[in-house]
Amino acid sequence: MLNAFLQSFSLKNTYRVNAILYAIKQIPLVGRLLPDSLYRVKGLKIFANVLAGIWEVLTIFAGKFLYLGLMVVLPCAIWESLPYETLFLHILIPLTILGAFANTYLFNPTRDKYYAMILLRMNARDYALSNYGYALLKILVGMLAATLAFGLPSGLPLWICLLFPFFVAGCKLIVVWISLADYERRGVANNENKLGKLAWLVGALLIAAAYALPALGILLPWQASAVLFAAGILAGLLSLRKLLSFREFRSMYQQLLPQAMNQRANVTQATRTRTEKMISTDTSVTSHKEGFEFLNELFIRRHQKILWKSSKRISVVALVLLIAAAASLFLFPEAKEEVNALLLVYLPYFTFIMYAINRGTGFTQALFINCDHSLLTYPFYKKPDMVLRLFRIRLREIMKINLLPAIVIGVGLTALLYLSGGTDNPLNYAVLLVSILCMSLFFSVHYLTIYYLLQPYNAGTELKSGTYRFVLSATYLVCFFLMQQRIPILLFGALSILFCVLYCIAACILVYLFAPRTFRIRP
Amino acid sequence: MKLVIDHLQKKYGDKEVLRDISFSFESGKIYGLLGRNGAGKTTLFNCLNRDITCDGGSFYLETEEGPREVAAEDIGYVLSTPTVPEFLTAREFLKFFLDINRKSIPNPKPLDEYFESMSIDPEDRDKLMKDYSHGMKNKMQMLINIVAQPNLFLLDEPLTSLDVVVAEEMKERLRSLKEGRVTIFSTHLLDLAVDLCDEIVLLSHGTLERVDKATLDDEAFKEKILSALREENHA
Repeated sequence: MLNAFLQSFSLKNTYRVNAILYAIKQIPLVGRLLPDSLYRVKGLKIFANVLAGIWEVLTIFAGKFLYLGLMVVLPCAIWESLPYETLFLHILIPLTILGAFANTYLFNPTRDKYYAMILLRMNARDYALSNYGYALLKILVGMLAATLAFGLPSGLPLWICLLFPFFVAGCKLIVVWISLADYERRGVANNENKLGKLAWLVGALLIAAAYALPALGILLPWQASAVLFAAGILAGLLSLRKLLSFREFRSMYQQLLPQAMNQRANVTQATRTRTEKMISTDTSVTSHKEGFEFLNELFIRRHQKILWKSSKRISVVALVLLIAAAASLFLFPEAKEEVNALLLVYLPYFTFIMYAINRGTGFTQALFINCDHSLLTYPFYKKPDMVLRLFRIRLREIMKINLLPAIVIGVGLTALLYLSGGTDNPLNYAVLLVSILCMSLFFSVHYLTIYYLLQPYNAGTELKSGTYRFVLSATYLVCFFLMQQRIPILLFGALSILFCVLYCIAACILVYLFAPRTFRIRP
Repeated sequence: MKLVIDHLQKKYGDKEVLRDISFSFESGKIYGLLGRNGAGKTTLFNCLNRDITCDGGSFYLETEEGPREVAAEDIGYVLSTPTVPEFLTAREFLKFFLDINRKSIPNPKPLDEYFESMSIDPEDRDKLMKDYSHGMKNKMQMLINIVAQPNLFLLDEPLTSLDVVVAEEMKERLRSLKEGRVTIFSTHLLDLAVDLCDEIVLLSHGTLERVDKATLDDEAFKEKILSALREENHA
């Protein structure tokens, strides 16, 4: 048994280390410096092993501290008037029961289990029992540390802190018992990632019990909690017998693991099917144009669902929100001054909004999977003048699609600024409107440019470019950072207009210079 | 006309996939390209198609007017997994293709005539190609490549996943198309290569080498090819 555990642990560690090395190799520039043989470079391996070790320790403690802190201690602090111990237990018990069936370890079909039991044919019972034992041990240690750290300073009795981890383990064991018995009876393996409707309903009720009842001032008396505690621990001990005497681990995992592995391998396939489904089957959609305009018009019209329809929907939502904001200014005139002050410094926030509503990534993904993926295999499609001609048409289209909500938001905000009391400098209106439109154009150009310059997909429609991922994340981070900034309209607006114009010019020059060479399917 | 490959090289990291490829392919012949798994057949095609850049060497067309670069429109490339733009109908795809190639195909025939020639049924011509079967997509891909009249026809395992009837049709079509162009046909099926191709070329150790049939019968020829491929293990 110990042997099985050590083997499986070292297996898990090996692929964790390889996953870390693979991730490092994907970082732009850094990855290029590393040799292809990095998987056998000793120094790198040790480094990755250290990271894997830190990760293992983090999984013991970090999750439990976060869980207790955010889900229990923080809410307890909100209802200060309620008795602390009673409230603490009241929240803890339903959450623990929820966790018992939503997070079982044993019935979570993971890669490490698949590799060990299916591919390497390790003894399923030895594997399951030893690893489950380890998982329970991690829970006991991590939970004990977390409850002691949070509980004792806030005056929770020691007995609760000491017993709680065993209560958690007990509840999990009860679920194991029920699931194993169910497997013996019906032959259907429990999969914690595919909870049934009933389980979702019970989960929702448990969360409601944990948080809604205290809000109403109703608490489970602590005596009742104590009884539940004791019952959970005792029943858990009894369940242990079931677990140890269960003999059908192999057949159960044969059923559970392969289906789950298929789900994972098919993520790319799923994206593809989903994107293909976006093609409207309405063949009455036609075009009377010629050449690339013909191709483009059919593409846009057969992808209404993700392009124009969604852009129109966003515009309508934005319009409704803006009208509601304007109406509330009339209803509560006292808010005008504050709204006016906010509007004058809140422009950076809208960078993030414009980022969030931009259709660029959806457009380029659909472009590749439903169009370029196939056409790029035809030599005529890759001729430089063809690439550039189509780029121009596409840029025009995506700009139009994104401009609709941008106009609604830009005009709406300008109107709000006016309605909330206006501004001394009329230039503010113009800059506000123009900068919102510029941001929209910027994102349109940005996504299409990086798509043409980095063309991140391979023939299997997998996203292969680390640089592309990096640029996307960097875009997000910059927008997120801007969201936190408060800068006067005139300054931020003028700067963003300048930036967007310069960026668009630079991007188009780069596309003209490089896209004929870079716009290829990745090998 | 000839396709001349001159000391072509391609490395992935430290691995030399194409070490030193030099060969002259003549028009009017179908060349069967054989090689073990991972020998670099697709890499060679990708280099010729300029999907990847080569590390050294060159290739060009030797015409009556002298040597010239291989342009994109010279190449027809048919992949084992056929890819067609799924949001278009077959008719729309063909129309689009003829539209943008008006210069090289100045007097196109009516669209239906092209479909006729590939035996694509009238009821399939106005269907979205996302609903096409594998074989139908393959026919469509082949049709577009044929209409383009390429000087160099690259076929990467094009018949492996077709049913026997369609595969037989395709073979006939390839034979009828070989005049006036270089056809290179990569496959793992020895019988198919010997049956369809005029010349057999082996890709091994990153180099190309012609296998001379001389006076051998088909069986003896196959044996010779096999033993040449096996040798690679011991080299």
